Amino acid sequence: MIKLRFFIFLSAIFLVVSLLPTRAWAQDSLHIDIFGPGEDRINAFVAPPRDLQSEVLHNPELGSRIYDGLQSNLGLLPFLTQVNPEHILGGPGVEGVRGRDIDFRKFNLSRVDLLLTIGLEQHAGGPGSVEIRAFEVFDQRMILGRAYDLQDLDQVPLMLRRFCAELMEYLTGNGDFFRSRLAFERKKNGNKDIWSVTPQGNDLTRLTDLRGITLSPAWSPDGSRIAFTLMRDNEHHLGIWDLEKGEEEVFSMPGNTVISPAFSPEGRLALSLDPMGRPDIYWLDDDYGVDETIMEHWAIDVSPSFDASGTKMAFASGRLGNPHIFVHDFEKGQIQRVSYEGRYNTNPSISPEGDFVAFTRQTPDGHRIFVVDLETGREKQISSGPGNDEDPAFAPDGYFVAFSSNRSGEYRLYLTTRNGDEPREISTGEGNAKAPAWGLEKDF
Amino acid sequence: MKNRTVMLLALLLGLIMFAGTGCGKRAVEAPTDPAAEELTEEEKARLEEERLKEEMERQALEERRLQEERMERERDEVDAEARIQDAMEEITANRIHFAFDSYELDADARSALQKISEHMKRFDELRLVIEGHTDERGTAEYNLALGERRARAAYEFLVLLGVSSDRLQIISYGEENPLVDESNESAWAQNRRAEFKVLD
Repeated sequence: MIKLRFFIFLSAIFLVVSLLPTRAWAQDSLHIDIFGPGEDRINAFVAPPRDLQSEVLHNPELGSRIYDGLQSNLGLLPFLTQVNPEHILGGPGVEGVRGRDIDFRKFNLSRVDLLLTIGLEQHAGGPGSVEIRAFEVFDQRMILGRAYDLQDLDQVPLMLRRFCAELMEYLTGNGDFFRSRLAFERKKNGNKDIWSVTPQGNDLTRLTDLRGITLSPAWSPDGSRIAFTLMRDNEHHLGIWDLEKGEEEVFSMPGNTVISPAFSPEGRLALSLDPMGRPDIYWLDDDYGVDETIMEHWAIDVSPSFDASGTKMAFASGRLGNPHIFVHDFEKGQIQRVSYEGRYNTNPSISPEGDFVAFTRQTPDGHRIFVVDLETGREKQISSGPGNDEDPAFAPDGYFVAFSSNRSGEYRLYLTTRNGDEPREISTGEGNAKAPAWGLEKDF
Repeated sequence: MKNRTVMLLALLLGLIMFAGTGCGKRAVEAPTDPAAEELTEEEKARLEEERLKEEMERQALEERRLQEERMERERDEVDAEARIQDAMEEITANRIHFAFDSYELDADARSALQKISEHMKRFDELRLVIEGHTDERGTAEYNLALGERRARAAYEFLVLLGVSSDRLQIISYGEENPLVDESNESAWAQNRRAEFKVLD
């Protein structure tokens, strides 16, 4: 594991510019409520990279990688609008990367709220060091400045994720979108295996090679394990992929089916098994043996999903004749029905806060993703096809929602938000990609 | 010593023969015996030869009979093999179909299961895996459970018809193994099924 060295700049250096007149409320002017009723939008602009030592960029390849990567990452945030460089009055360039070198007036006139600068310094034997800064234009104030020492060009995506995590944290209060990884099913040569990729589409990695059909990956809360269903040799098995071992273990379960494993926030594994001759939801113990029943019914009970407090579990059940979404409250011991419309509601994913459930509803035009507010019961359709939109999964920030869709002909992964923002495809290569599951990157 | 024993035996034989003259039938046989004793060496050799010949013929006949029996047995085995092969093919061909989001066995499904149960009773060495499948229209996890319901419905019906449960195994493939890889009503109808595979 190659390490990135972090330097936190002395904030005093960068606060020089804030000696200029400021408004009293300026401190929080760029903080946005992504969960608010009307989404705020801010205009962002990434200035072309500059060399810290000279007028000429010594490593243009590194510069353009960082510049493109940063724009691409910011482009995934629906509350940011990137300003076209041609619309910057007086040209997009900056005289330097530090606040004192920046002509903030031209950016202010061009309606830029958030300005980012990239500074590069060449080192012998490596790509060099990189400084990235983010400024609030109106207040001419630096809100984030980080320096990174790169050993390898391949470290650029990780560096950008770290910077963007902190930037998003500053802007919205939660930067987990950039600290997450997605696990998903990918079909290749007739087999299905578990792969992983960052939500930004970097670092596509194959995790399992089991020559069978693997389904429904689920991350443990600490990011160290992925549980999944394995179909092989006329049987279902529980598979556990272990990050430290870098390989998977396969466990036999009582009964004939192993469906939809999901970890609770305490790291307990729940899944649907049929030892009683019908799919019910059970807890497993630490050795992956059956511990106790969570949900028992003559009808199908599958797809458990837990909120971050572990007090609520959403699941899909056929107890009313057709599949519908229910939420089990462990504290109150109550089961609440949450889907009323339609005849086929499945794939529940409860938000970490336990206030929303995203699910798939079959409509005459195909499956669509809906989000229901558990407080008010109000529903919102957040995807509109075409084709089938399935497998919604709330990100750890409770804002982004990943899902799969065959809108392009084959199943691919997409990102939207619980507000139903324009879906963005996550690149996962060839072959059907389904069942995205979020996990927080270990030791990020 | 040896001669004396022979003489004693001959005497005993003579006495028995004498006693036997009282029975009419024996009386006819008795005179031939001294004649045999008078056979020449040449005749003895000829008789011996004939006896050997007969023996060889008898053995050849026996061999032929055994050969035929063996062939018949093999024919039977081939027939049984063919019959079991036919049964296996019929079992595999008997897919049963379901309505959307349903695991109810209709009349066709029940009669197909009836046929399968008959084969299972005739050939008690057969073991089956019942596969439950769904079409692609539902979603994967719920479909996996629905496939289980379908396979189990077929399993329970077979058990009801008298097939021992330890000869049956079930697995759900959900929507993962469509029979027809297309997206239309006809493909979906064919894909909503339970299939029966004979275990080796």
